[in-house]
Amino acid sequence: MITNEEERLREQLSFTESMIPERISADPEVVENGLARLVLSIIELVRRLLEKQALRRMDAGNLSDEEIERLGNALMKLEEKMTEMKAVFGLADDDLNLKLGPVKTLD
Amino acid sequence: MRAVVIGAHRHRDDISGDAIAIPLGDLFLSAVELAPQQPAGDRELLIRVAKIRARLLDVATFIAVRYGFVITNESDAMSKCGAHVDRWRALLDEHRNDVELTLKIAAATPQPRPKRTEFANGADYLRALHAATQGAAIDGAFREAVDARLVPLAKQHRWIHRDNASMELALLVARERIDEVNAAGTALKSFDVPFLLSGPWPLEVFAQEVEQ
Amino acid sequence: MADSDEELSLLETLDHLLDRGVVISGEAVISIGDVDLLYLGLNVVLANVDAIIRTARKT
Repeated sequence: MITNEEERLREQLSFTESMIPERISADPEVVENGLARLVLSIIELVRRLLEKQALRRMDAGNLSDEEIERLGNALMKLEEKMTEMKAVFGLADDDLNLKLGPVKTLD
Repeated sequence: MRAVVIGAHRHRDDISGDAIAIPLGDLFLSAVELAPQQPAGDRELLIRVAKIRARLLDVATFIAVRYGFVITNESDAMSKCGAHVDRWRALLDEHRNDVELTLKIAAATPQPRPKRTEFANGADYLRALHAATQGAAIDGAFREAVDARLVPLAKQHRWIHRDNASMELALLVARERIDEVNAAGTALKSFDVPFLLSGPWPLEVFAQEVEQ
Repeated sequence: MADSDEELSLLETLDHLLDRGVVISGEAVISIGDVDLLYLGLNVVLANVDAIIRTARKT
């Protein structure tokens, strides 16, 4: 791999792996307290995947006007609900475990 | 049995090591078996599969299947992939000694994400999101250098707008030219543009029928 | 290689594994931690967006 300006690169490129949440504890008490976070993490993950998929299909040009409207509305609605629910549960983006976890190196 | 599929290969002998081979017509799927309750989304497993993929690529090019596709047996594989076999065989025969290299480039003009609240309907919002990915352009001089120095080394190439802050160039390159592409990539460091040249990879972009 | 370089290399490798390659009939696995949560067709997800949100609200 050949790179230049790693720091700036990290800021501007988005990698799929960072969408995978870190391991969630199996401890029942922790799980219960973290349930809202867990559920919202799932929805946020799905939202991002849907958005990516929608944009790719836009690139390919294989969406009818009706499909664009349906997809666009679904994405808008999802985003709106996410904003509402994050506010309801007092969660920020950081809380949804969607940042990169500890990285293991390839041996 | 549950196994997460890695790729589609032309010959049985192309698959070895930690991957199992599952026949698919006259082709073969490589896969890694999952323990009974093991989820496919396990990070350790992902890293292990990445290493196995690299070793398989050393032998011959194959068609990469996006991670997450799990099959149970040969007939399961055929019922889900049967429709692709002819197209895959043609690709594998044609590109047995070709690999993909990827150049990711940070945009000089990253586009801000459109604000949902500024749109009256979903269609306009989605179109704006899409426009933002198309609008992210890279430095002109850098683009010229890439077109002049890297693209000619490839059999095929494709510029891709992945998001609103970067662009990507997918290159289909003959194995024996990998070093040349890397050398040209190294020379690009003289530009003040953040980029990442990675590979070799199996057939990913160039195996797709439609943009996925 | 410096630490950040190795990390970047790992991110890039996983990106290729997860975000590229042929997709078989829209199947996708989403998992959290140790649990395979969803094995779904993306078209099914689109249809059930409302249901997912309603379920989450109850929690």
